[in-house]
Amino acid sequence: MFNLRDKGAEIWENQGRVGRIVIAVGAIAIVAALPFMGGTFLNTPIADYESVLVYPIAMFVLMAIGLNIVIGKSGLLDLGYVAFFAIGAYTMGLLGTKTGLNTWEILPIGIAMAMFSGIILGVPALKLRGDYLAIITLGFGEIVRIVALNLGALGRSEGILGIPTPPGFFGIEYAFDSHRIYYWTLLILILLAIWMVRRLSARRAGRAWESIRQDEDAAELLGVPTFKYKVWAFVLGASVGGAAGVLYASKTLFIAPDNFTLQISILILACVVFGGMGNIWGVILGAVILGYLPDRIRFLSEARLLVFGLVLVIMMNLRPDGILPRKKREKAIVKKDAS
Amino acid sequence: MSKSLIELKNVTMKFGGVTALSDVTFDVKEKEILGLIGPNGAGKTTVFNVITGVYQITSGEIIFDGQSLAGVKRYKITKRGVARTFQNIRLWGDMTALENVMTAADTHKKSGLVSGLFGFPISRREEKRDKARAQELLDFIGIGEYSDRLAKNLPYGVQRRLEIARAMGAEPKLLLLDEPAAGFNPAEKVELAATIRKIRDAGYTVLLIEHDMSLVMKVSDRVVVLDFGQKIADDSPRKVQDDPRVIEAYLGVPEDAS
Ligand SMILES: Nc1ncnc2c1ncn2[C@@H]1O[C@H](COP(=O)(O)OP(=O)(O)OP(=O)(O)O)[C@@H](O)[C@H]1O
Ligand SMILES: [Mg+2]
Repeated sequence: MFNLRDKGAEIWENQGRVGRIVIAVGAIAIVAALPFMGGTFLNTPIADYESVLVYPIAMFVLMAIGLNIVIGKSGLLDLGYVAFFAIGAYTMGLLGTKTGLNTWEILPIGIAMAMFSGIILGVPALKLRGDYLAIITLGFGEIVRIVALNLGALGRSEGILGIPTPPGFFGIEYAFDSHRIYYWTLLILILLAIWMVRRLSARRAGRAWESIRQDEDAAELLGVPTFKYKVWAFVLGASVGGAAGVLYASKTLFIAPDNFTLQISILILACVVFGGMGNIWGVILGAVILGYLPDRIRFLSEARLLVFGLVLVIMMNLRPDGILPRKKREKAIVKKDAS
Repeated sequence: MSKSLIELKNVTMKFGGVTALSDVTFDVKEKEILGLIGPNGAGKTTVFNVITGVYQITSGEIIFDGQSLAGVKRYKITKRGVARTFQNIRLWGDMTALENVMTAADTHKKSGLVSGLFGFPISRREEKRDKARAQELLDFIGIGEYSDRLAKNLPYGVQRRLEIARAMGAEPKLLLLDEPAAGFNPAEKVELAATIRKIRDAGYTVLLIEHDMSLVMKVSDRVVVLDFGQKIADDSPRKVQDDPRVIEAYLGVPEDAS
């Protein structure tokens, strides 16, 4: 049977340094060129293609990578991931309108705020496991939205208006309708997130997360400080969500509690599960498909969500572990055994 | 006489109405192989669980390397120098054999997440060092050729051995082996006995739970016998074998019950 994951891994592993650089640069070039392909079959009817690339697609990809650290790597079910997205967005909204700070100055603050709330949520919640953790995170996601809905300083249900766009540099202007500029900016953040996850996965943190996901008690008994690494997973996941939030607010110029509903948490979770929990490429692919599909089939109007749901159900039946599942490939030795 | 590495003093462990350990006192000397035997349900695994911090004892005291283990977090007990295997294999199946050992070896790393992320030299150095050490351990235990295989795909006997290698990865002073020969055939048992002696000769202290009498008697320097949570014997293998109380405890309980 054709196995996309193994095929891809094989090609990559068989390359030398130069080959890998060529593949990586080529792939990035193709992805970066996507905004120019609006005239092709990729085009989305009704919705503006380039704007769809930014939101939902690129935003979903970024958030899915972040959530994957928590769910896919460490096996912690977080149903309130939207909270970190909201915290990033409201940090941008508030500081962007009330202070003279610009988006690039607010970005690290938004990330820090999200990370800090990751600690606030994580430290008590991560003492619990499984279903309990899921319920607490679900509650946290709702609490953040409800606080935004009730706090005068956050504009209640009206939200925050007139959030500034990022200042340009090197002649690049962030006009609110220059979608491709935002897209490329997000692409850089996505590449950074991929770098971070790949880096960590190969070392101590990655092993700690893996061991926690597979058998937390055994991990603790073999010297893994499980609580610390669970909090780290939460905090790093939050940082990515926060970064996405800052950019989102700076792009839409207007945020309200309605943008941060439970539905977003569930959608991002769906991206992770659909694409292949724990496999970063699977998760990215899942986010691209789930972000893109509803807009691609928008001509179906009302029926499109039905079709979307149907595709999800069929896919999860055909490939319960996602499109590109996590399972690692073993070296050639396995093939010898099998024959 | 060499000094004690670990001492259990009047240890009692109650689970609701069940007294799994009742006033148990014994020690393990440095560089010793101590056999821990007893019929099913005698409380052997519970001894491991209280030493490693899975359960907090109801009363008594456990002193390891001169310090009490009361209230010490489980991963810190490991860091102090106690590591175990599990009676029912609990490897991380989706990791390779090498990664299983490396994860345990991370216990003593100075570098953590941040230095790993930014690739600080210390992180790289430790990574390289522990990778080599993990491979050495796999070779030492005789399963070096399986290092790149996922743990869950390994043959049963190799998984049992990997449990030992993984525990050794944490650089313990005291190695706790919970029925490492369960399910082994006689030839494999002989091989394992040799491995356990080799482990001791490499400087580890071993506390061994084992149902196979001939194996325990062959490798142990001393044997402690538990029955219904109580210690009924603590002596050389020869003397324990002839102890009437021990014979009585095992009467009616076939030796190969498990
Ligand atoms: N968590 C627990 N809760 C309640 N009872 C327990 C618990 N753990 C152990 N016990 C009880 O303590 C007693 C000793 O169990 P333990 O697992 O230590 O026996 P063992 O000597 O290892 O037996 P085996 O040879 O079958 O492995 C048993 O009666 C068991 O039911
Ligand atoms: Mg037992």
